[in-house]
Amino acid sequence: MTTDLEHELKQLIIDTLELEDVTPEDVDPDEPLFVEGLGLDSIDALELGLALQKRYGIQLEADSDETRRHFANLRTLAALVEARRTQ
Amino acid sequence: MNATEKAPRHWARIQESGSVAGMRIMVWIRRRLGPLPFRFMLAWVILYYYLRRPLARRASRRYLKRIWPYHAGGAPGGMALLVMRHFWAFGRSLMDKVDVWSGLALDVRIPDADRARLDAAIRSGRGGLMLVSHHGNLEICSAMSHTRDDFHVTQLMHTRNAEKFNTLLAQATHRRPPEIVEVSEITPATAMRLARRIDAGGFVVIAADRVPVGESGRTRDLDFLGDAAPFPEGPFRLAALLRCPIYTLGCVRDGDHHRITFEPFDDTSTLRRRDRDAWCDAAMPRYVAWLTEQCRRHPLQWFNFFPFWHADDR
Repeated sequence: MTTDLEHELKQLIIDTLELEDVTPEDVDPDEPLFVEGLGLDSIDALELGLALQKRYGIQLEADSDETRRHFANLRTLAALVEARRTQ
Repeated sequence: MNATEKAPRHWARIQESGSVAGMRIMVWIRRRLGPLPFRFMLAWVILYYYLRRPLARRASRRYLKRIWPYHAGGAPGGMALLVMRHFWAFGRSLMDKVDVWSGLALDVRIPDADRARLDAAIRSGRGGLMLVSHHGNLEICSAMSHTRDDFHVTQLMHTRNAEKFNTLLAQATHRRPPEIVEVSEITPATAMRLARRIDAGGFVVIAADRVPVGESGRTRDLDFLGDAAPFPEGPFRLAALLRCPIYTLGCVRDGDHHRITFEPFDDTSTLRRRDRDAWCDAAMPRYVAWLTEQCRRHPLQWFNFFPFWHADDR
């Protein structure tokens, strides 16, 4: 079951990273976003961070382990946005 | 694989190694005893480095051999003396660094055209990314950012030592150093911080003529002064990612004064994601061409005293 925010985030990821052959339905909320799953790389992570900041006003701490946890899959990402969004 | 272990001659290991304590002493001499004792001490320090660092000497010689035909149209004569002058130029740049952070007035000139471009860039409020190099003395530019309230600079640096040095200078001089972001690894948090700076109209400064520590990938071999040398992709990836105006910034010592140059390089605001690779393909050689021109005009002011070219390894 996918929440509205999760759906919005799927679309954000697809648009931001210009994933042409991917539809929101293809993104499994529990599957890893990086390396496995969607197969995103470290530059994609930077891009995603910038997009989240722009859209939701989210700021991250410099701690990269924590960032990794937030960026693990769509559900963790949605939880981050839920908790930190300022817009 | 750990690239720093594999490449013990990496610049981060060579330069600035253990030099912070020495720097502290030198700053003290400059500030307490004045310029003449400082110059005298510095001459000894430089001589010491010249005699004790055969690797740096060799790297300098190899660079000078390559650049001299561009600069003077022929092979250099009196190599040992030239290498020593190269070392001395580096020492003098350290001296300028200390001076500028001590709040001493330096004779800094900006050609009218460059000044107009810089003013326009600041006034536009769009901020941007400034590509710099290890040519000349960028401390001067950072110090310049103190002279106006609307000019904010965030410097990206590879080593903790550089940060330590700046902190030390700040303590000694009671002046706020420019914001420094240490970037052995760019994380999403770092990128977001930089994007915020630029959004606020600030400028991010990054050198693109050094390969980052511990990152063996993400470099490209480009022709620099006739031979292949690895250049970091990182600054250009970042430039593409941040979607902002890109500039080149230089500062050289020209006789008794310093001259700042500031030119537009590109604008990635509307660059599509899929066009980024092509943009990097074109931008990196253009940067190298800019660097070549800087070195050609002032050959003794490129301060990379480590094997830079592939052919120089070992």
